[in-house]
Amino acid sequence: MDNGTSNSASENETITLKSCDGIEFHIDARIANRYTLLNNWNGGESACIPNVNGKVLEKVLEWCEHHINDPQLNCGDDDSRRRNTIIEEWDENFLSCDQDMLFEIILAANYLEIKPLLDLGCKTVANMMKSKSPEEIRSAFNIDNDYTPEEEEQFRKENEWAEDY
Amino acid sequence: MITLPNECYYEIFNNLQHNYKTLFSCALVNREWCRFIIPILWSEPRRYFSDTRLIRICLLTLNAEEQAFLIPFKISLPSYSKPLFEYTSYITSVSEFLFEGIKNWLRYNKYSRGLGNVVKHSLITMFLRTGKNLKYLYIDETICSPIILEYFYKNSTVNTVDFVPSYDINDDFKSKAIDGLNENIIGST
Repeated sequence: MDNGTSNSASENETITLKSCDGIEFHIDARIANRYTLLNNWNGGESACIPNVNGKVLEKVLEWCEHHINDPQLNCGDDDSRRRNTIIEEWDENFLSCDQDMLFEIILAANYLEIKPLLDLGCKTVANMMKSKSPEEIRSAFNIDNDYTPEEEEQFRKENEWAEDY
Repeated sequence: MITLPNECYYEIFNNLQHNYKTLFSCALVNREWCRFIIPILWSEPRRYFSDTRLIRICLLTLNAEEQAFLIPFKISLPSYSKPLFEYTSYITSVSEFLFEGIKNWLRYNKYSRGLGNVVKHSLITMFLRTGKNLKYLYIDETICSPIILEYFYKNSTVNTVDFVPSYDINDDFKSKAIDGLNENIIGST
């Protein structure tokens, strides 16, 4: 079966990645190749990952390592993946971190184009919102309400059909 | 909260696509989230077209011409202020539940089949006029109206039509409708 690692990297080959704050990670070359982590590699001893700090990169690489043998999904599977908000136990535990870290992981996955991790992070955030009131969501994510009372009232009236379903 | 790029917000809220209640709550969080959510919330109202509150908002979107069809029938339209968004422009699919919603809404105006048909005519004209994302339409013999056929011709997004004529419509009328539909769909591709 093609597991997406059809490049020349072998199991024992390692590559050194360096986070934006200078922390080095020695990783399986298959991970680097699979997720195009080497975009900024200039052929030196280690590849730099700008914009991602060591703490976040460590988490991202932990996820990549755990999922190294996952089959790669086609782009056409987008809809089916989106509609399924079930998350595997390992992934759920992995993302049971504090909220700032969860958002940092989403940002890094988006930046590094690690689509399955991005989907997983977004699903986790979506699940955190399910069945909550606007006030509960604002307080969970520390967001200010910038509606005027009149606007809020009008919005409620125009969309009240959705409130009951 | 750490600010995410727009595409991440879309990704998050798309996970809630048919969870209308949660989308409603999220849209009330703040104005920025509202702008992300309205297109998702309104993209497929599905069976909620049968809800009179949704029909009322659709009726507010009728333009003067579409409202004029209803005047001779003394149908009293809702009188709210102009909606905050052009909600109907986000609808991708108009399901058969629209007909049920019209019936339910017309209960206040004493429903009859004739009244149902004129409201249907105005609403479908409006969906075709405003529907920038409209892909699917469930329709009956109302399609035979020259105005609807004209909007069909102008609309370039609809790619699937379920034509389900009423049981008592004669075959001549059915074939006229199908001819009109064929001509306009083929004409627009």
